Amino acid sequence: MSRRLVSALIAMVGALLLVSLFLHLVPGDPVDVMLGEQATQVDRAALRQAVGLDLPWYAQLWTFARDLATGELRTSLPPFQRKVLPALGAALPYTLLLTLAAMAVSLVLALPLGVMAAARRGTPVDAAAMGVSVAGVALPRFWLGPVLIILFALKLDWLPVSGAESWRHLVLPAFTLGTALAAFLARMTRATMLEALREDYVTVARAKGLSPRVVLWKHAFRNALLPLVTVLGLEFGALLGGAIVTEKVFAWPGMGTLLLTAIEKRDYNTVRATVLLFTFCYVLVNTLTDMAYAWVDPRVRRRS
Amino acid sequence: MPPLPFRAVRVFVLALALVLDSGCRAPAPPAGITVLLEAPPDSLDDRFALTAHGQRLAQLISPGLLTFDDASRPVPQLAESFRDVSATVVEFVLRPGLTFHDGSALTAEDVKATFDALMDPKLGSPKRERYEPVDRVEVVDARTVRFHLKRPYAPLLAELSAAILPSERVGPGGIEAQGAHPVGAGPFRFESWPDEEHLTMVPFEGWHGGKPAVSRLTFRVVRDETTRVLELLKGRADLVVNNVSPAVLPALRQASHLRVVTKPGTGFTYLGLNLREGPLADVRVRQALCHLIDVRPLVEHKLHGLAEPASSMLPREHWAFTATPGCGYAPEEAARLLDAAGYPDPDGPGGKPRLSFTFKTSTDRFRRAVALVLKEQLAKGGVAVEVRALEFGTFFEDVRRGRFELFTLKWAAVMEPDLLRGAFHSANIPGPENHWGGFNRGALKDPALDRLLDAATQASREERRVLYAEAQRELDADLPVIPLWHEASVAVVSSRLADFEPSAHGLLLPLAKAREVTPEQGSTP
Repeated sequence: MSRRLVSALIAMVGALLLVSLFLHLVPGDPVDVMLGEQATQVDRAALRQAVGLDLPWYAQLWTFARDLATGELRTSLPPFQRKVLPALGAALPYTLLLTLAAMAVSLVLALPLGVMAAARRGTPVDAAAMGVSVAGVALPRFWLGPVLIILFALKLDWLPVSGAESWRHLVLPAFTLGTALAAFLARMTRATMLEALREDYVTVARAKGLSPRVVLWKHAFRNALLPLVTVLGLEFGALLGGAIVTEKVFAWPGMGTLLLTAIEKRDYNTVRATVLLFTFCYVLVNTLTDMAYAWVDPRVRRRS
Repeated sequence: MPPLPFRAVRVFVLALALVLDSGCRAPAPPAGITVLLEAPPDSLDDRFALTAHGQRLAQLISPGLLTFDDASRPVPQLAESFRDVSATVVEFVLRPGLTFHDGSALTAEDVKATFDALMDPKLGSPKRERYEPVDRVEVVDARTVRFHLKRPYAPLLAELSAAILPSERVGPGGIEAQGAHPVGAGPFRFESWPDEEHLTMVPFEGWHGGKPAVSRLTFRVVRDETTRVLELLKGRADLVVNNVSPAVLPALRQASHLRVVTKPGTGFTYLGLNLREGPLADVRVRQALCHLIDVRPLVEHKLHGLAEPASSMLPREHWAFTATPGCGYAPEEAARLLDAAGYPDPDGPGGKPRLSFTFKTSTDRFRRAVALVLKEQLAKGGVAVEVRALEFGTFFEDVRRGRFELFTLKWAAVMEPDLLRGAFHSANIPGPENHWGGFNRGALKDPALDRLLDAATQASREERRVLYAEAQRELDADLPVIPLWHEASVAVVSSRLADFEPSAHGLLLPLAKAREVTPEQGSTP
């Protein structure tokens, strides 16, 4: 457990260092972005000092870490240096809700599709299921989002276009974000199911005269779950990344939106804090995935 | 972090509702007018707002003594009138009975306090330097205020459109209050700003022009252009100003509940040339390039007609605009000029080029498309161009440091003609002394032009018109940049908002004169 914690910590510090470094490599003076072109030299120097941009990068990083730890972290932009944490706290639930809903959508779509394709391997059902999943992987979110909006919000008038005022607003973004994962998961499910179906215990179960459904779901599927859980954990990161695009398309007030605004304004502190939170979510989910193994696979439980 | 648990609870309730609620109809649109924005305002305090969004929203809440009409002439706003008492004294008379949103009266004392604070380094406004020519502000009586200048300085009027705030809020101690709940004397009263994505205002009954006929203004940030268009089509948004590209307007025009209204605008797109060295230092080469470029197909196809080919930095409607001969599309003349400048065609039309340039542009899809068309046009005249698309930060840094031969850029809004001095006076060539911030990026050096532009800062309005006309003729001959076009100001308006007349500058102030209407039953989309 402690080893896990240490590696999680290293991952987060590494992400913070990388982000800070990249922020400094991005061309364009943040002071120019903040003040606009017309500002004078005097104003620039004053702002640079007020925001701490005159300090070397490691000193800026230290100030950031200290302020974050004490909860005193504020946006880099004068004159209203608002606290960053409340904004993050407000955005986080929206992003989590979106990613979890997308994950639910993808599981609901992918598992039956993958299992069905594996059970009827080589049939038109298999081909159709895999065809759908290839399409799902290939569709970019910035395209799929508007198409779903046109279909369900404009033509059918069932759902709103964008925003986050009610549950209806969640449906289209969750589908947009979940499709790619669903497609990928369906392929994974099919592959691991095929492998499991070839195992001896499946032959034994069949020989015992168990019904095909029991063999499929109870024997093969339970064993195919383990690699799926791994993939799901890893893919959560991709989902978080995809959430940025999806949030932009649907004007969803999550961390992606917060991050985009902060980058536009060159608000270093918010960018750093948001990326750190993304990393934290990612690390947390990976740790949870490890723990989920024990639940899914009794062998892992016994070992630890 | 008190908001967190509340949000979390709400989100859980939403998730629960997902399971329980089985209705499918979208909820009815909210009362009032919804305006979509591309990005949230950086600030609603005009003294700190630097983005166009921030300034335009701030003007609704807290306008200034004057504003600008479509010809960019200063016109009274909170002021009833203004006049030059002498070359260094400007006098403003306030409208009678002005009040702030909090009910207190707006007097000359508030005006003086506002500008005194703005000029005080303690406030830390990034706009402070603009008021350097002001010596002092004098209260003559409750409705009369005078600005005493250190020297004659005509462009100052442009800066006197700054927001007038209640005197108790003008200092550094008022920043917090003005940022959280801004107060002014504008047509709309600030109501709420719950998060970055939403902002609401309500009409102010005390507005000197009469209470605006809109029940409420809701501003929503929708970053994605496609989504903004879809919200308009769905009928859930009533106004978008200048935030949709010309390519999608035909689709919007077809919707029966939407109107697309346009007006000649002031955004100026140009082809920048580096005069420091090489062939472009020769005016004949610059003129030849200008003769090879035909702006009309670009305006027609890339901008769908929503632009005017430009002959000057100032748009045709500008009070200081003057018509100049211009170069016009004339390939034979270009060939003659290039021959004369010592760049003969090595092997006849086609084949090897006469001379070649690199053309820097940002990675923006539209800018790149424009660069490719220009490349094609120049190639026909034997001028080879290599287009290099760079990330905006890198591109802009290269332009500022003079590391370019050709580039395209846009001036967002050309209002005060003194901008010509910024862009073409030899004192404004970027260099270490101005932190590479000078706008004369092509490094034009024309002493006669310098004199004209300097004189225009100290002249009366009529004299300025003459001086700027002369300056535009001089620029037409020098050709430090090749003017391309002025983009039109475009507003997409729903049938629920009547009488919205867009401003040439893309301002939101016309909302004060617009009317909210309830469309007849049955005609809702």
